[in-house]
Amino acid sequence: MSSQSAGIGCRDLRVHADGRELLNVPELHVASGRTLAVLGPNGAGKSTLLRALGLLSSHRVSGQILLDGRPATRSMMRHAIGAVLQRPILRRGTVAANVISGLRFRGVSRREAHIRARPWIEALGIEPLAGRDARSLSIGEAQRVSLTRALAAGPRVLLLDEPFSGLDSTTRADLLADLRAALTGQPTATILVTHDRQEALALAEDTALLIDGRIRQHGPTAEVLDHPDDAGTARLLGYTNLLPPALTGRTHTLVARPEHTHLVLDLPAADPTLAPPLDPPLDPSDHIDDVRPVIGTLRRTVALGVATRVDVDTPTGPLTCLHPGDLLAAKLPPVGSEVRVRIRQARPLIRADEHHRHDKPCRT
Amino acid sequence: MDVLFGGLVDAIRLLLSGDEDSWSIIALTLRVSLTATAIALLMGLPLGALVALGRLPGRRILLAAANTGMGMPPVVVGLFVTVLLWRSGPLGGLGLLYTPTAMIIAQAAIATPIVVALVAAALQQVDPDFRVQMQALGATPIRALAALLGEARLPLLAAAMAAFGAVVSEVGAAQMVGGNLAGQTRVLTTAAVLATSRGEFSLAIAFGMILLLIAFGVNLTLTLIQQRPAVPR
Repeated sequence: MSSQSAGIGCRDLRVHADGRELLNVPELHVASGRTLAVLGPNGAGKSTLLRALGLLSSHRVSGQILLDGRPATRSMMRHAIGAVLQRPILRRGTVAANVISGLRFRGVSRREAHIRARPWIEALGIEPLAGRDARSLSIGEAQRVSLTRALAAGPRVLLLDEPFSGLDSTTRADLLADLRAALTGQPTATILVTHDRQEALALAEDTALLIDGRIRQHGPTAEVLDHPDDAGTARLLGYTNLLPPALTGRTHTLVARPEHTHLVLDLPAADPTLAPPLDPPLDPSDHIDDVRPVIGTLRRTVALGVATRVDVDTPTGPLTCLHPGDLLAAKLPPVGSEVRVRIRQARPLIRADEHHRHDKPCRT
Repeated sequence: MDVLFGGLVDAIRLLLSGDEDSWSIIALTLRVSLTATAIALLMGLPLGALVALGRLPGRRILLAAANTGMGMPPVVVGLFVTVLLWRSGPLGGLGLLYTPTAMIIAQAAIATPIVVALVAAALQQVDPDFRVQMQALGATPIRALAALLGEARLPLLAAAMAAFGAVVSEVGAAQMVGGNLAGQTRVLTTAAVLATSRGEFSLAIAFGMILLLIAFGVNLTLTLIQQRPAVPR
C-alpha cells in the first residue's frame, strides 16, 4: 500500500436507479488527512456519490470502490467509515450512549468506548449534554452530537452529507470551526457533500463540482470556486451573469457574479454611499477581467435590506446587478430607461458548451 | 349487584381453593394464548419488517391485507380453520380439530395480521435513514436492524400487547375449533360463555375476573418492559 493510495476512492463508479443513470464518476481519490468538498445543486447526485463510496447505497452500483488502494469489501468499509447525515439520527438514550455507539458497533467494550470518546466530547464541547436524553436536544445540539459520534468512532473515512444545512447561521459557523479544528492533523480522508461554497472554503482543501451525476471540475478549492469552466459550473458558483461575445466583443463567453455587476450611476460625487465599492487590489496571477460597460434596459429594482438588486435586460439576455447598501429608488433611473452596466472580475469560460468532458481523473 | 358481588367472591374462592378444573382452564388459557401470541410474533415480526423496509412488489397490497386482517372477526378465522382441519378437509388427516393445537392455529391466525400491521407501522415511523446511519457507523446489517427494533421498542411491545389481548379475549374461534371440551379445550372465554348460558352467573363472572387478571398481568409485564427509561434517572 503506497502512501499516495491511502484514503478512499473509486474507479468507473456508476449508479443506476429505475433504468436511469444517477452517477458516473470515472475516477476519484481522497487521500488520508485531506478533505474533499463535493459541491452541487439539489439532485446532482451528491448523496448518491457519498453513499456509493461508503458501500451504503440501495441503488444498483457498478465499478470499484477503493479503500487504501484496494477494492473495498463491506467488512473493510464497516471498520473504516463514520458518517453524518443531513438530519441528525440519534438513538433512544443518553447523549453519551449515542456518542459511543460507533465504537460499540466496532466491538469496543463500553468502558473502553467511554474512555476513547472522552477527548472528542471535549473537543466538540458537548460535556454539558453528555447525560441528557438525546431526544431532548435542539437540532443544532443533535447535529453536534452526531458529528462527535462519527469522529469518536475513529474513522479513516469520514462522510459528511450536508450536515450543516439545517442549522442557523451562528450554530453552523461554530460547528464548522470546531469540525475544522477537530479534523486538523487527523489521518482521516473526509468527503463533505454540500451546496454551500462557504462550507467548502472553510473545510476542504479540494473541491469537486458535481452536476447531473458527473464531476465537471475538480481541484484546489479556492481555484475551483473562482474559475468556472462552463455555464453549469458558473451558475453553481454564483457566476450567474452570462456575457456572450456578442455583448462584450471578447472572443470567449464571460461570466460574472451579481456582486461584481453594477449600474453606472451619474451620482453626485458627494454621495459616496451610493457609488459602487472599490474593487479589491488585483492579483496579477488571477484572471480578473474588467469588461467595458454594456448597455441594457432597467427592468426592476428590489431592495433587499443589505443590498439592492437591479435587473437589467440586454440584447443577449438578462443581467443581475447587486449594489451594496440601500440604493434609493429616487436615485435610480425609472424602469424602462437605458442604463449602462459595469462588470468587474469577469471570468472567461473555457468551455462555452456546458456538455463536458468527464474522463478527467480526479485525485485529491 | 348481588350477582356481581357473588361473582367476585366466587372468583376469589376459585383461585384460593385450588379447584383442579379451574386451574386447568386457567393453565390452558395461558398456554394457548401465549403460544399463539409467540407464533404470531415470530411470523409477524419478520413479515412486518419486510413490508415496512423491503422493496418487494405488492408491498402496499400486503400492508392493506394486514390492516384488513386486524379487524377480522374471530368467527370467520374459526370457520376457515375448522374447514381446513375437518375430517374430510385438506388437513383432516392430522386429527387436530377439537385440540388445543387447533386453537393455537386459529388464534395465531387472528393475531398475525395484527402483529404485521403494527410492526410495519412501528418501523415506518422511525427515520427511513436510521439503518443507513447505523451502518455508516460500523454496524453490520443485522446489528443495524437490531438497533432499529430497539428504537421502535415502544410500538413493538404495543403490537405484542394488542396481539395477546386479541387472542386471550376471543371466544368465537376457540369455541369453533376447540369445541369447549371439559378438561381438554375449555378456556376461560368458552367456560364463561357456557356458565352464562347455564345461568351460572357467579361462575361466569369469576371466569371473567380471572381473565381480566391474566390480561392485566401479561400487559403489566410488557408495559414495565416498554416504559423502562431510556435514560437513567
